[in-house]
Amino acid sequence: MRSFDYSRATAVGEAVATVAADPAAAFLAGGTTQVDLMKDGVLAPARLVDITRLPLRYVHHGQDAVHVGALTSMEELAADPVVAQRLPVMREALLLGASVQLRNMATMGGNLLQRTRCRYFRDLTCPCNKREPGTGCAALQGVHRMHAVLGTSEHCIATHASDVAVALVALDAVVHVQGPEGERAIPLTDFYLLPREEPNRENVLRHGELITSIEVPLLPANARSVYLKVRDRTSYEFALSSAAVALVVRDGVIREARVGLGGVATVPWRAGGAEDVLRGARAGAEVFQSAAQAAVQGAIPHRDNAFKIELAKRTVVRALQTVSDKAS
Amino acid sequence: MTVVERGNLVGVAVDRVDGPLKAAGAARYPSDFMPDDLAHAVLVQSTIAAGRIRRIETGPARAAPGVLTVITHENTPRLGRGPDPVFAPPPPLQDDRILHHGQHIAVVVAETPEEATAAARLVEVDYERTEPLLDLDDPRAEQVHDPGARDLSRGNARRALASAQVLIDVTYSTAAETNNPMGLFTTVATWDGDALTVHDSTQWPVFVRATLAAAFGVPQDGIRVLAPFVGGAFGSGLRVWPHVVLAALAARQVDRPVKLVLNRAQMFTSVGYRPPTVQRLRIGATHTGELVALEHEGVEPVAMEDDYAESLTTASALLYACPDVSARLRQVRLNVACPTWMRGPGEGPGVHALECALDELADRIGVDPLDLRLRNYSEVNPQTGKPWTTNALRECYERGAERFGWSRRNPEPRSTRDGRMLVGYGMASAFYHYVQNPCQVRATLFGDGSAYVRSAATDIGTGTYTVMTQVAAEVLGLPVDRVRFDLGDTEMPPATRQGGSGLTAALGSAVHNACRELVRSVLDLVRDDAHSALRGCGPDDVSVDDGRIIRTDDPSRGETFAEILARRGLAELTADGSSERREDLDGEPGVFSAKFAEVHVDPDLGVVRVVRVVAAVDGARILNEKTATSQIIGGTVGGIGMALLERTESDPGTGRIANATFGDYLVPVCADVPHVDVVFVGERDAANPIGVKGIAEIAIVGVAPAIANAVFHATGRRIRSLPITLEKLL
Repeated sequence: MRSFDYSRATAVGEAVATVAADPAAAFLAGGTTQVDLMKDGVLAPARLVDITRLPLRYVHHGQDAVHVGALTSMEELAADPVVAQRLPVMREALLLGASVQLRNMATMGGNLLQRTRCRYFRDLTCPCNKREPGTGCAALQGVHRMHAVLGTSEHCIATHASDVAVALVALDAVVHVQGPEGERAIPLTDFYLLPREEPNRENVLRHGELITSIEVPLLPANARSVYLKVRDRTSYEFALSSAAVALVVRDGVIREARVGLGGVATVPWRAGGAEDVLRGARAGAEVFQSAAQAAVQGAIPHRDNAFKIELAKRTVVRALQTVSDKAS
Repeated sequence: MTVVERGNLVGVAVDRVDGPLKAAGAARYPSDFMPDDLAHAVLVQSTIAAGRIRRIETGPARAAPGVLTVITHENTPRLGRGPDPVFAPPPPLQDDRILHHGQHIAVVVAETPEEATAAARLVEVDYERTEPLLDLDDPRAEQVHDPGARDLSRGNARRALASAQVLIDVTYSTAAETNNPMGLFTTVATWDGDALTVHDSTQWPVFVRATLAAAFGVPQDGIRVLAPFVGGAFGSGLRVWPHVVLAALAARQVDRPVKLVLNRAQMFTSVGYRPPTVQRLRIGATHTGELVALEHEGVEPVAMEDDYAESLTTASALLYACPDVSARLRQVRLNVACPTWMRGPGEGPGVHALECALDELADRIGVDPLDLRLRNYSEVNPQTGKPWTTNALRECYERGAERFGWSRRNPEPRSTRDGRMLVGYGMASAFYHYVQNPCQVRATLFGDGSAYVRSAATDIGTGTYTVMTQVAAEVLGLPVDRVRFDLGDTEMPPATRQGGSGLTAALGSAVHNACRELVRSVLDLVRDDAHSALRGCGPDDVSVDDGRIIRTDDPSRGETFAEILARRGLAELTADGSSERREDLDGEPGVFSAKFAEVHVDPDLGVVRVVRVVAAVDGARILNEKTATSQIIGGTVGGIGMALLERTESDPGTGRIANATFGDYLVPVCADVPHVDVVFVGERDAANPIGVKGIAEIAIVGVAPAIANAVFHATGRRIRSLPITLEKLL
């Protein structure tokens, strides 16, 4: 039986120091992904540092942003009145992202770090470059209907599973981190790493660095936003495709646009190309189509998931239609 | 005897008698049994689909903390096979060959489940791989024609097709599905010399006993199998799977009680599944929709050295009047685990293909789909020409269509919208063959006027405890709370398996007969009793009300069970009853239904949601409207899963199951289940003394095609493969 050390940290600095000092140590927050992976033998930390008692559970309202403590639960954040009013896209992504049981357990910091649902990653009998670098990618030839078409490499096509992270990359959220060498702030759009040569490296965090908070800039008061999630069943299921969209439309012209894609990419996907198409254009079916086309630029299909390219486009179009209908 | 006709207890919505026990968590399922000194077994399974084990290294596992032993083919004795190969697979660990991915190759026994699980990961296997046969169309694979001898034909379908005015020639495929009961299958085995006690997740305790006796060469009467509660099975508990034998083997080897619990992934590889099918339908018809010929050819996989047969195509010969019919099944031997019965086996996927093909015919010739069924309605079994014992299919159509509002259907596909959503109406007929096997029951009346009735049957969540209590209470003229019905123990009289919707008829008839025999035995006590008002009465001369036997010719005269037993100085009185299928019937029994579904389809995103279902069911007499309605709703949920979600996927080239978790194998969640309107039609059936047909299978049959046909009606797109996932509609 695999045993591990467990300790409960009482201060952020202590937690960081403990994990930083032990290459086999990991933080434990809500545990909703981590414990499953430990049971399956995918993760085998020798030491778990429980951070759930750290004072990182808050939602602070600034003038231009909300500051979300990393231990804030998904449910708590979704219940925040400012979030409901000014960041509906994030609220919807939270509510569609997990069952209420999970939303009560899962933390926002942990959500950003959740691991892929790729079955090959989670099955020790299969090769997986993410789990064991250099062993290969079983998903390429395996069952990969759920897998990514954007941001893939020949080494990994695993989909990033988070919904709320898709909204957060679209919102230009910033991740605040404390590590052994101090604090730093990382734009979420720079946080995730594409699985180029090293699919096992999923983000820029260094060992021992702890997410302490997430800063989410508020949308303009006149923005309209939506999170649209398309999936096989109505609940308890990950996205086949999702879109986080926010628009500011004035006099029929799109002044500001944010587009994020989920369920189709190896990381929460900011569709900057789509935003470029939208910004300054007149809202309407034609430009939405063009934006959708731009959003999936560079997509690479595999045997079972080519439909995701078309589905992602339609998801973007529907989301844009929805916010544009709201706006008018 | 008039008691059985009175029936005031039957048909009403009696709450489940085991409901409070289950709600309180006090019902004991197999995994709840923890004998003293219990050890735990965990299976190791092959990670290749074909080849042999060159070497299996168990040293590190044996050296791991808490490990008691590791069992492989190298240290397993010869094990016998159970008496009926249909229900007893070949015994495990008998040689070094690998026949499918996920085959059991070792058992690790340890002090705790965690230690056994950890040690199981340490077993190292060196395989000699051969190329597995995994595809139905692999030319190297052995073909099995007409497995189980269920093919049906009449006339000359091929010739009649050639001259038909209208020809539909379509191929449908259905996905492999895994039964996935909530309860993880568990076996707890305890030996005492050659005597063995087993708690097991089974649908047939007496056959578990027989199989274990054969496996270990010990007498059956020393083996006791218990299954008072089983956490579902949907057919996967009908066979005595190898893990059951391995649990008993492990217990024998470590000389301690052993518990073996399959994990969820192992539930996908170890206890069967619904085979995927490919079905070609050729239907010949006139321009007005009279069927002139029907050919239904099904193909499905079966295991290399184990067998399973199902009635995939037979309903195509039985549902409609059609002169020339050929309904056949062919199996292909592949390196796959053996498929098994899953709710609505055979007819579930088979009727799907038939009813979708008929919908295609209706669309082709411009006839309403329901009219098409009525035009080809058969008053008799069209294969034998004999009448049905009862058949209310026509009433299923009428009542179902009326409740559904079928007449509002615009025949034009893609013509109806609700906001943005495309709206579709679809319907399908359904049939399931009648099953009844021999069954025995013992009934005891106590001096206080209460009764105890028992049989070694199971209740896998269907309501058997409840409806059997009702049947016994009815025949004995007792309130249900004065009757205790018990099951799930081979010390009780042998019962047949709980499968094919056949238990209620078999067990219910035996309960009926045993209780009737008990009343007769009571009357026998007073046959010559000058003090009894019932002197000389036989069972047909009396009725029983609230424990009091009353003369039919003079209801003022009678006496209670308790009075009679007390006068004779008896603490209790026992009678046995049995039942078997009637061979003297004028007609043939069959179960019928019509299903109607409305779907909404997102025209851009392809998302299908079922918004309502009407299920009109001819289950003959319904013993308990509440539990029966639950059965139909549950089967409808299974049908929604079959239509839209469920699919057991295997890796190309390796045969590894790729989605063996509840996160990856999707079943409907509550939000996917709409209102299900259940209506029961029909009348008592003469097939058995309690007048029932059995409704578990018919509940799911016809649901998927009604949904698929509704999807066509909504979109104009004919999706010929299940499940209908959104990409097929983009």
